Formats: sequence, C-alpha cells, structure tokens
Amino acid sequence: MTVGTDRLRSSPLAVAFIVGAAVVILFAAQFPSGGEVGPGFFPIGISAGIILFALVELVTESDGGLDVSDHDLRAAGVVFALVLGYLLMMPLAGFLVGTILFLPVILYYSGVRSPATILLMSILLPVALFYIFSQFFLVPLPEGVIPFSRLLPRLPVWVML
Amino acid sequence: MIEAILGGLANVLNPFTLFLMVAGVLIGILMGSIPGMTATMTVAVLLSFTFTMDPGNGMMLLLGIYGGAVYSGSIPAILIRTPGTPSAAATIFDGYPLSQKGEAGRAIRISTVASFIGGVISVIGLMFFSPLIADAALQFRSPEFFALALFGLTIIASVSGDSLPKGMISGLFGMLVATVGIDPLTGFQRFTFGVPELLTGVQFIAVMIGLFGIAEGMKAYSSGIDGEGKKVEQDIEGIVPSLSDLKAIGPVSTLSGIAGVLIGSIPGAGGDIAAFITYNEATRWIKDAVPSFGEGNIRGIAAAESGNNASTGGALIPTLTLGIPGDSVSAILIGALMVHDVQPGPALYQEETTLLYTIFVGFLLIYVLILLFGLLGAHYWVRLINIRESLLWPAILVLCVIGAVALRGNLFDAWVMLGAGALGYVLRLRGYPLAPMVLGLILAPIAETNLRRSLSLSGGSLDIFYTSPIALVIILLSVATIAVPAVRSLSSGSSA
Repeated sequence: MTVGTDRLRSSPLAVAFIVGAAVVILFAAQFPSGGEVGPGFFPIGISAGIILFALVELVTESDGGLDVSDHDLRAAGVVFALVLGYLLMMPLAGFLVGTILFLPVILYYSGVRSPATILLMSILLPVALFYIFSQFFLVPLPEGVIPFSRLLPRLPVWVML
Repeated sequence: MIEAILGGLANVLNPFTLFLMVAGVLIGILMGSIPGMTATMTVAVLLSFTFTMDPGNGMMLLLGIYGGAVYSGSIPAILIRTPGTPSAAATIFDGYPLSQKGEAGRAIRISTVASFIGGVISVIGLMFFSPLIADAALQFRSPEFFALALFGLTIIASVSGDSLPKGMISGLFGMLVATVGIDPLTGFQRFTFGVPELLTGVQFIAVMIGLFGIAEGMKAYSSGIDGEGKKVEQDIEGIVPSLSDLKAIGPVSTLSGIAGVLIGSIPGAGGDIAAFITYNEATRWIKDAVPSFGEGNIRGIAAAESGNNASTGGALIPTLTLGIPGDSVSAILIGALMVHDVQPGPALYQEETTLLYTIFVGFLLIYVLILLFGLLGAHYWVRLINIRESLLWPAILVLCVIGAVALRGNLFDAWVMLGAGALGYVLRLRGYPLAPMVLGLILAPIAETNLRRSLSLSGGSLDIFYTSPIALVIILLSVATIAVPAVRSLSSGSSA
C-alpha cells in the first residue's frame, strides 16, 4: 500500500512524529547497554511504537483535525507571543513587576477597555499572588534586577500563623 | 475501619481544612459554571497553591474544585444550552427544554440533588471497594505492574478520542518525554543535553499546566473569547425540590450513581462518557417517561448528573489503588501527591491510611457542601455565567506561569509549560487527544521500571509475562483493546 503525497500533506504531524521518533531511535542507539535491557531499550521501543501508529494514521485516516475555518490562528499566536514576552521579561523585571506589565497588555488584547478595570486588576492580582506565594506559602518568586517587591510591607505575623 | 474513618473525620474538621474544602467547592462551582473552564484546567492551574500544604489539605482543595466543577457544569447546560464542563453535555438534553419552559430553577435543584446522590455513592464505593483492590494488588510483582501500565495506556488511548492511532501516538509521546533524565536503573543521563534541570526529568506538572492551561487559553482566544459575558435573565426561586420530584429521581439517580462509579473506574472514561451512558440507559429502561426524554424530563437530568458526579469517586479507585489515573483530573491529583513524595498504589493503603481516610471522609463532606451550596446558592450561581471571559483568561495565564515557576522556584519549568502549551494547542487542532499524553507521562516510569526489572529477573526471557496468569490476562486485554476497534474500523471501512 502506498501513501500518496496528499495524505502526507493532510497529516503533517504524523510525518513529524515519524521523523522525530526516527531521530530518537538513532540517538538512543548510542546509549550504553546495561543489564538485560539498557537505558536505550525503552525510548527505542516507544519510538518504534510511535512510528507504527503514525504509519497506521497515514494509511487509514484522511484528516481527523478540527475544522479550523472559524479559528483565528493569529490570536493563538499573539497569546503565545505575549506569554513568551512575559517569561523573557521575568528575569529582568521579576514576577511582581513583570505581571504588572503583562496584565494590561493581555487584558486590552482580550477586549477589556475600561481603564479602571485594567488598572485595578493589573495591580491587585499580582500583589495578591505575590503575598500568597512569596509570603504565605514561602515560595521564592523571581525578583528581577531591581527587587521592587521588597518595598511591599510584610504580612503581619498573625496571618502567617 | 471505623477507627480510620473517625481519624479522617477528625482531620477534615480542622478549621483550615474545612476552609480549603469550602474554598475548593466555591472555586469549582465558579469555574464549572463558565463554559470553557473545565475541571481539569482549574485543578491544573490551581495545583500550585497546594505545593507547600500538608498533602491531605492539598487534596481537599483540589477535590473540592473537582466535585464543584463537575456539578456546576450543569448550570450553563440547563440555562444556555452550553455545558460548563464536557461532563455536563448530556444534561442539556432535558435540562435546556425545562429551562425553556421557565423551570430552570427546578432543573438546577434536580441536578444538585442527583449530583449529591451520585457523588455520595461514588465515595462510598471508593471507601469500601478500593481497599479490596489494593489488597489484591499487593500480590502484584513487576510483570503484573508492567502489564497494568500497558493496559492503562491502551484503554486510555482507545476511549479518549475518535482515533485510536492518534490516541496511541499521544500516549506514547508522553511516555517518551518521561524517559528524559537520569535512567532509574543505570544512572545514565538520557536526552538531558547538559541541562541540569533535566536531570530529574521533565516536570510533568509543568507539562500538565501547559496542556490544560496554556493550550486551552490559546484555543479559547483563537475561537474568540466572550468580552461581554453571556446574558442569563431567568430568576431562580425556591430552594428544595418537591417531594414528588425527589421520589421520581431517587431510583434513577441511585442506579446511575452505581453505573457512574463503575464507568469512572475505567481508566480514561471520565464524567462525559459516564453521563452519556447513564442517560442513554435511563432512556432505554424508563418506558413511561412523561414528558418524553429530550423534552424536559427530570429523570434525564438526574441520570446524567448522578452518572457524571459518580465518575469522580470511581476515577479515584484505579488512581489510588494502582497508581493508574482514572481521568485527567486524577492524573493531576497523582502529581499533587507526588510533589509530597506520596506515590499512589497498593502500598498507599498500608502506609498512608490516615491520608487515605482523610481523602475519603473529606470527599464525602465535599458532596454535602455541594448539596448545601448548590441548593442555597442556585440563585447566585446562575449569575456566574455572566462573568466575562476577557477578565478570566488573563488571570488564568498568570496562574499558569506562577504555577510552573512555584514548582521548583525556577523559570525553566515555565518554559517547559509554554512549550507544552504550544504543542498541546497544535495537537488539539489536528485531533490528537491530550489526556493519553498526560497519562503516558505518569505510566512510563511504572512501565519501564517494571519491564526492565521483569526482564532482569527472567534473564531476558519473555516467559515471565505469560507464566504469570494475571499479567497474561492483562496483556491480552491490552492487545484486545487495540485490536478490536482496529478490526471493527477496517471491516466497516471495507464494507462501506
């Protein structure tokens, strides 16, 4: 049975899985052997399984994807890019300032137009999360180059207890 | 057992634990009432709040969210014909017609009581049957555990999407990701590429937050988020259902509850499948339905809602006894326990009885809270549907990031989360189910360690798998799980 080029085009992820799994097999084949079955045995076996099922998908299925005609793929890309920027900014700005900068942008992009709502949410949510995680749960959050979060007053001791 | 139950009761009556249960139920009801906000996503993005808590307290918060969201998914299903969570889809059939007749309040009260009945039956089933399964599983050795992990993966892949190959690819890919890090048997570094954060492997909680938080967010934005909120005008009056309604739904709720526990206990078959099956069975068995099913029969609502809520306790049976998650939420609950070095499985029933009975008694109390809040607050919950998604999604994205960062206090896991989110979005667009991937991540270490141990014991011979009757039966079931749908699909293809 041959797989036509139209099938390859309609199932690009199946092809990507086959290529990726083949690369993993080549890589894992270099792992040292150890005992009856070495560290490469399982990754090779799983990758072989992925190749097998991806081939079955290519042969038996035309296209099982969602109908994306009413999906705005650009909007998903923008959200991804905004979170990417948020994460890139965090080592410099820290969690508190980074979130205060991220929220107005994503809120505006989400369609919120009220300046009061944007301002309130962009300040209250990061400050509340900062207190909950950093001071109540004692989870260290990125502080950034200039640790502005240290300017916030500490929680009263009775709250910590 | 009574001593253990009383110990669990003492734990859950602690004021902070009670607070967490109430908070969990309210958050669950809030998020479940908003279409598009699933129980899985809510539990995944709020998991980070439990990292520093005692595991029992953490589980109470998460189980409260789980139960609350599965219950309240019925509210928008009844009012606006859109299920709040996938498990409430079957509630639309009779809930929405009742709402159109101006009886939304009655429908919500029926849904609340049926959810309570299903939930209580499921917790009782969990409390009494799971120790028996755990006892039997104590006899399991490496070959049986390998066979179980294999079975978990195949059955999950076969029930969680329309395409078996896509489900299997998703599950196997999750297993492959789980091989990253130091090999547990030889100490060899696999696929770490010199990155120190990868030595302990890819953090699967970060992956889950990405798959169920970021990917869902990207999907919500690409489908167009609702900036104005839905408009629900109908007022909900009254609190308690009438005696005649309670009498009418009693038997169907009880039977659907029992069926829901059994269906929920099958790995991968969550509340959505349970509700469709129990609704369908109700329509088959009740011949004298007036009005007919689909035209606003309260027994239809009761069957669906009791079934989906019963699946929650059912899903915890394989999760707690075998370490094989019953659905996506219970996969996240395994992650929540593992953060505290608690490994679900038969040994849990020997070593952590206090935690177990805290979970059992707490989950029972959570369903009592759902009944109370559901009946007393129905008037308010319907207004939750009006909350604007444009305010919620930005907050959820921030919670995703803080959840990943708080995991180990570094940004690496946040990058993993974002990568998993983007991948999850693309996979969903192409029709790949995500649940098998998460379960593959969890099952891979169980499968690999036990496969390699088995082969070490047998000197590399596969005899060890077919000389164990239990392992052989489970492996044959796994093969049948893949082979039967494949043969059916091929035969239907050839006859078409």
